[in-house]
This record gives sequence, structure tokens and C-alpha cells, in this order.
Amino acid sequence: MRMDKEVVNPIIDTILGSITSGLNSLQASMEPYLPELSWVAYLAFAIYVLIILAGGFMSILCRNLVRAMMGLVLTFLGVAGMYLLLASPFLAFMQLLIYVGAVCVLIFFAIMLTRNVSDGEEAHWPTLGALGYGLLALLAPLGVIGPLIIMHAGKIPVQVPVENPTGELGEGLLSDYVLPFELISIILLVAMAGAVYLAFRGFGPEKSKRHSK
Amino acid sequence: MDLSLITFVQILVAVIAIICLMVANAVVMVYVERKVAGFIQRRPGPYEVGPWGTIQAICDSMKLLAKQIFVPANVDLVLFFLAPVLAFFPVLLLFLPIPFGPYLTPWKTPDGLVLILAFAGFGVLSNLLAGWASNNKYGVLGAARAVSQSIAYEIPLMLALMAVVFQAGSLNLSVIVEKQGWVPWEWNIVTQPLAFFIYLICLVAETNRAPFDLPEAESELTAGFHTEYSGMGFALFFLSEYANMLLVSFICATFFLGGYKGPIIDGFWWTIIKAYAVMVFIVWIRWTFPRVRFDQLLNINWKWLLPLGLLNLWITAIIIKVVN
Repeated sequence: MRMDKEVVNPIIDTILGSITSGLNSLQASMEPYLPELSWVAYLAFAIYVLIILAGGFMSILCRNLVRAMMGLVLTFLGVAGMYLLLASPFLAFMQLLIYVGAVCVLIFFAIMLTRNVSDGEEAHWPTLGALGYGLLALLAPLGVIGPLIIMHAGKIPVQVPVENPTGELGEGLLSDYVLPFELISIILLVAMAGAVYLAFRGFGPEKSKRHSK
Repeated sequence: MDLSLITFVQILVAVIAIICLMVANAVVMVYVERKVAGFIQRRPGPYEVGPWGTIQAICDSMKLLAKQIFVPANVDLVLFFLAPVLAFFPVLLLFLPIPFGPYLTPWKTPDGLVLILAFAGFGVLSNLLAGWASNNKYGVLGAARAVSQSIAYEIPLMLALMAVVFQAGSLNLSVIVEKQGWVPWEWNIVTQPLAFFIYLICLVAETNRAPFDLPEAESELTAGFHTEYSGMGFALFFLSEYANMLLVSFICATFFLGGYKGPIIDGFWWTIIKAYAVMVFIVWIRWTFPRVRFDQLLNINWKWLLPLGLLNLWITAIIIKVVN
């Protein structure tokens, strides 16, 4: 025996409908006192930028490796927030899934497998040459992106981002962008083969045979 | 995403309800676990405090609240206290996309499964932090085990869930329930038996429970990553472990057992009955099987579950292509 949906649904619908309409009227009455949506977006943007910057500084200034990695996690969280602000929750969740759930955890694993010297007592000030290279590395992307930003500043109209369904992302990856998509997988394959080669180079022929058992 | 008052109130109410659910679940499950363990080992289990020992779990939680928070020497204080917090709070978000009933879905997001998998990563991170920050070699060993285990078992778990997602054509958990019928032979467990089997094994491994409880193996590592935690720190880890158990059981009910659909009348009671059946099954496994060795654990995953999961996904894709 099974009760039809038609019997139950109207009752719940009326209850839910009254709650919804009540909240809607409350929101309508509060409307004049609420800030505009664009200001909320600016505020969120500022908060995310602060989170990203704080995480970045934490990850380069902390002497303790694990704390530095927590800075990296903070940065990734901020970047995920930026994706949410751009109305792409799928990318935001993927950012967390891949970078926090996999990359950071693997970095942590690598830290733990090394000797326990993660307190940074071997750290020293970089030499002048290293500082120069670092500056070069900072300026190179700035030199590429900077002119683009200056050229296009104010020309691209600011618009509310549109949320694309995840299905369209998948179709795009398998139709228009199939070549880059496959190229990325080839790069990953090469990296994996390289890692396996590096890991097995340490074993002699006998040792590697024993290892494979 | 719309910034309306309704969404805000909905999520706020949902989060409060989920916190209550998590705490109540931990209290109930402690009692169930000890009672079931008792029956399996032919002893009474807790029976002194209250009728049939029902107040035992509440007394235990009172004891945990009153305990001294002990901090060992030379620990990284910030990370030491961050770890239990990081273990507890992301779990709250994981319950948001789960359809408890036809009307009871805290947040109907189209990317529900991705949200769950994304925030589940924080659990591993907290275990690692706890093990590393407590400055204890058992803690570090437990954390190292926790990470290699959960990274390995995340892959077949995703593959098993992806097969169901292929079948339903959506990452939205509500849609996945809607695609199933109310009688048991219309559930996904019938169309995806291999995925269900893989998911069951991965679920036990992902929640770090026996026979895969190597991160905290009492006989080898005292308590693994949470050796140095006492009082509320330990209680938060404990709560999050049971909340994770509840979560994977709810996902199991949603993906394979028809969610809120059932005979007589659909509703959240069916989700809860199914989820708790899975929970009792997990407890039953714990007291039936001995702990596996670590190489066995990784071999099961990489040599069996991963190829089987890929094969299952491949066959599912082919069948869907042929049928459509």
C-alpha cells in the first residue's frame, strides 16, 4: 500500500508557501535598508583578496614548513572563494578537492617523510644573485600581463557573471577544447612515468625484482 | 547563487539542525556500538547506568566535557588546537546537499557530490595536522598512515559514485534519488551491485574504522594521530568520526538504497532508517573482522578496487551509450 503524493503534497506546500511568502515580505520590507548587491560583491572581493594575500605571506614568511603549508591552504581557500564570486561553484569545489584535498595533503606527506627539520633552523638569507632571479621571476609575468591590463582597462564592461551548468563544461571539454584537454592528460602521464622512473632508479636489478614482489 | 533571505534562513536552520543531529548521533551510536559489540562477543555491554545502560553514553560525554585539556610539551600550539576544529566544522557543510526528505534538502545545489568530496579533504588535513602538531612519534606514524590510506581509497570511492552519477546524469543528489523507484528492485543497488560493493569497502576505509583503522590502531600506536588529545579536543575528533560515519551512510542510502523513497509514504524517516541500517552494518563489520596489515590494505585498494571501479565505470558508460 502506498499513499499518493497528491494527498500529502498540498498540505506541506501550503505550510512551506506561507513561510516563504512571509520571509519574502520581510525581505521586501527590509529592502531599503540593505546595501546594494554590487557593494556586497565588492566586500566579498576585498575579503577574499585579504585571505589570499595573508595566506601567501604566511606561506613565504613562516619558518616552520607545516605552518607555511597552512598558509598555502588559506590561499587556496581564498581562490576558491573568488571562483564562487565568479558564479562558478563547480570550479570552486574542484579547487578545494584538488588543491586542498590532494596537493596540500601530498606536500604534507612529503614534509613528514623527510627528517624532522621543519623548524627552519637551516634557513638563511638568500644571496644577491638569488634575489635577482626572484625579482626577474616576479617581473616576467607582470611584463606580460601588465600591458594587457593597461590596454584593456575600462574597455571591458563589468557584468554579472553567468553561472554555466556543469554539463556544458563537460561538453566543452570534449568538443571545443578536446585538444588542450588531452594534452594536459599527456603531461600528467609524462610526469607520472618520470616519477616512477625516479623512484625505481634507486633499486638495482635484483632489488627491484624483490621490490616488485 | 541568489542572495535571498530565504536561502540564508534555510541554510542557517539547516546548520543548527545538523549540529544537533551530529551530537545526538554520536551519543546514540556510542550506545549502539557498545551494545552491538557486547552481543557479538556474548557479553551484556553497558547495563549499569540507567535502564539497559542507556544513560551510559550521556555520562561519558559529561566526563569528557569535565576533563582537563592536557597539552604536551613542545607542541605547535596553534596547529595543535586548529586540528580538532578543522576536523569538526567542515563536516557540517558536507550534510548540506543531502536530500533527507522530498522537502528536506538543506541546499539543492547542482554540484552536490562535488561539494561533499571537496570538503571531505579537510578531514585528512586535520588528521595530518593533529599527528604532526602533537610532537609524538605515534601521532606522526598514525598521520602518515591516515594520509596514504584516505588518498588511496578516495579514488575507488569516487569511481563507484561516478557510475551512479553516469546513470542518473546528474551530480545533484536530489535528482539521483528521484531517478530511483520506491521498491527495492528499482534502487541503484540492483543496477550497480559492483559499485555498491566497492563503495561499502571504501566507506569503512575512509572513516578509518576497523578493519581499516590503521591510523589509530590501538595495539600498535596507542591511539595514532589523536594520542595526545584529551577533553574537548578528543571529543571533537570523536564527534567528527561519528559524523563522518553518518555522512557516508546517508550518501550510501541516497546513492544506492533509494534515499527517502519507500513503501507507504515517502519521507525523511526512510532515509534515516536506511542510513542507520548501514551504520549498524559498519559496527557489525568492526567487531567481526580482524585488522588488516598495512600492505594488505594498500594492495586491496590498488590491485583490486581501483581496476574493478574503472571496469565498472567503463561498462556503465557503454551500457548507457547503447541503451540511449
